[in-house]
Amino acid sequence: MDGKELIKFEEEIKEVFLQGKIKAPIHLSGGNGDALIEIFSCVHPEDWVFSTHRSHFHALLKGIPPEWLKEQIIKGNSIHIMNSEYKFFTSAIVGGTCPIALGVAIAIHRSGGKEHVWCFIGDMASESGIFHECQKYARNFQLPISYVVEDNGLSTNTPTEKAWGGREQLPYTPKYQYERTFPHINVGEWVEFK
Amino acid sequence: MGYKEEITKAMTMLGKDERTIFLGQSILYPGHVMYGTLSGVPDSKKIEMPVAEDMQMGISIGLALKGYIPISIYPRMDFLILAMNQLVNHLDKIEEMSEGQFKPKVIIRTMVGSKEPMNPGVQHCQDHTLGIRELVPNIHVIKILYPVDVMPVYEAVLEIDKSMVVIEMGDLYD
Repeated sequence: MDGKELIKFEEEIKEVFLQGKIKAPIHLSGGNGDALIEIFSCVHPEDWVFSTHRSHFHALLKGIPPEWLKEQIIKGNSIHIMNSEYKFFTSAIVGGTCPIALGVAIAIHRSGGKEHVWCFIGDMASESGIFHECQKYARNFQLPISYVVEDNGLSTNTPTEKAWGGREQLPYTPKYQYERTFPHINVGEWVEFK
Repeated sequence: MGYKEEITKAMTMLGKDERTIFLGQSILYPGHVMYGTLSGVPDSKKIEMPVAEDMQMGISIGLALKGYIPISIYPRMDFLILAMNQLVNHLDKIEEMSEGQFKPKVIIRTMVGSKEPMNPGVQHCQDHTLGIRELVPNIHVIKILYPVDVMPVYEAVLEIDKSMVVIEMGDLYD
């Protein structure tokens, strides 16, 4: 899927949401398509991908069919998209996937498997204790996992740097920065649910 | 046989199943009474964990997603409290969130710390059984009160397609 197709998908979801057909929160992706396309050029079909409440771009780039994803979103599952066939797992708790992804990496390591684990987290999660524990463990045991920090500087609408009084340096963790093109949640317009 | 002997027998039984893997603190190195109950489990099936309770629970879930049956050991219920995010928000909810696509099975083994002959204080001997039952409606929580129940409980725990929290009683260890 290219950048334009990713944006088009989210615009379509926005329209469906505005029609009041999605009676659950949605967290639309935007502003990070190009960065993700580059990262996913390294992600293989057999790899595991762990994502967050904002997972639409990750799911599409992992190869999950857009029709299936759209169906899940309309059903109200946008906040925790899961697909076992595509080894795609999310959590809507900040940092929640960090140790679960680590456990998958340990299992792969013990069995001599070739898959890799990719765990995408936000900037607030990257400041959390659970991330630091997991990242340290993964690095020390040389496990087949990459944590990737998606840094938009905000957690909901709280500036991460201001809330922590600074930011942690993450010398071992890939990070990209971007600006959101949608609000944290939903689409920024009133919706009438019938 | 006494309580501890039965537990040791049950752990040896679990260890013989090729799907199981044991993780926790002081399982490869002595540090608490549960250590001795793992004498019949090969060291190759044990992962010694740092003190990182929530990380341990998450790792257990991840291992289970890959087909292992982890026996995740928390030597006191007081310590299990630190793993509540992964236990309550994740292990208990993953099957529902994924509409049955992911059904990680984790056996959580914990203990109400003994008060005799030494009372360890209120941070090391609490019984949170009822509270945990309230928090994890999709996970069975069972307390073993008699030696005769130990093997049947752990045999059932291995058999059923569900995660379980098994609570042992420190004061029954002989």
